[in-house]
Amino acid sequence: MQTANASRPGSARRLLLAFLFLTACSAPSVAGAEDHVVEIANMAFSPAEIDVKVGDTVTFVNRDLVPHTATASGGEWDSGSIGAGDEWSVTIDKAGETDYVCTFHPAMTGVVRSD
Amino acid sequence: MKNKSFWSAIAIASMLSASPAAFAADAGLNDLQIAHIAYTAGQIDIGYAEIALKKTHDKDVRAFADTMLRDHAKVNDAALALLKKLNVAPEDNATSQSLETAAAAKRAELSALKGAAFDKAYVANEVAYHQLVNTTLDQTLIPETKNAELKALLTSALGIFTEHERHAETLEAEVK
Ligand SMILES: [Cu+2]
Repeated sequence: MQTANASRPGSARRLLLAFLFLTACSAPSVAGAEDHVVEIANMAFSPAEIDVKVGDTVTFVNRDLVPHTATASGGEWDSGSIGAGDEWSVTIDKAGETDYVCTFHPAMTGVVRSD
Repeated sequence: MKNKSFWSAIAIASMLSASPAAFAADAGLNDLQIAHIAYTAGQIDIGYAEIALKKTHDKDVRAFADTMLRDHAKVNDAALALLKKLNVAPEDNATSQSLETAAAAKRAELSALKGAAFDKAYVANEVAYHQLVNTTLDQTLIPETKNAELKALLTSALGIFTEHERHAETLEAEVK
């Protein structure tokens, strides 16, 4: 499980800035960070492409019978094996576009875009 | 699916090239026989994967074999759990037996190979075997299944095995 770097100096300020920014945009989340869910079902990520803000969390929920992974192609993050019925979350801490794949099933791919 | 004669042609071609089993076209199967055939088909692919894990030195072939072992074991576990819940036992039948006979011959053939020749033969067999199993699931086993839960499980399994077939095809282009 990868979590926000809450203990790192500066992250509190970043959170506050994110909060102020999102409040200004009238975002609903109190913490300023949203949790996005990507379902893994029928051998596919759904939605396969998502747009998030830096600081948001993406949770991968495996609804299939078999294990899968969500593995960033550039090595930024890697769930390892997510068993049937299990889930795994990652906090996106950088802006940009990250392609990811299931290392068990290379035909399963997705994209997380953050800004 | 699209074109019945197209799929039959694939099934026949697969039977001739890879597994000379009289698989499918066996109308009048009951659910317990269908469950037995599906379970047997999974165990056969696990057997091929076990040979591959002993023999291959190619990391992509190894990763594929790991996935075959992992996924077919999970699907077969789910099948056993369903049969247990329904309090029934799978029923051996002529189709399961001919599948196993063909697989024994294929295991002997694969066991005699090594290196790149093994990788090529293993992956080619995985393409043909998944084509055969998937066509049979789609055209015969799933349509003939009466129990809704077994039908749903076989349908999920077909989705998984269809990805395996594509994975094997991608690998086949690499090991050539
Ligand atoms: Cu997967």
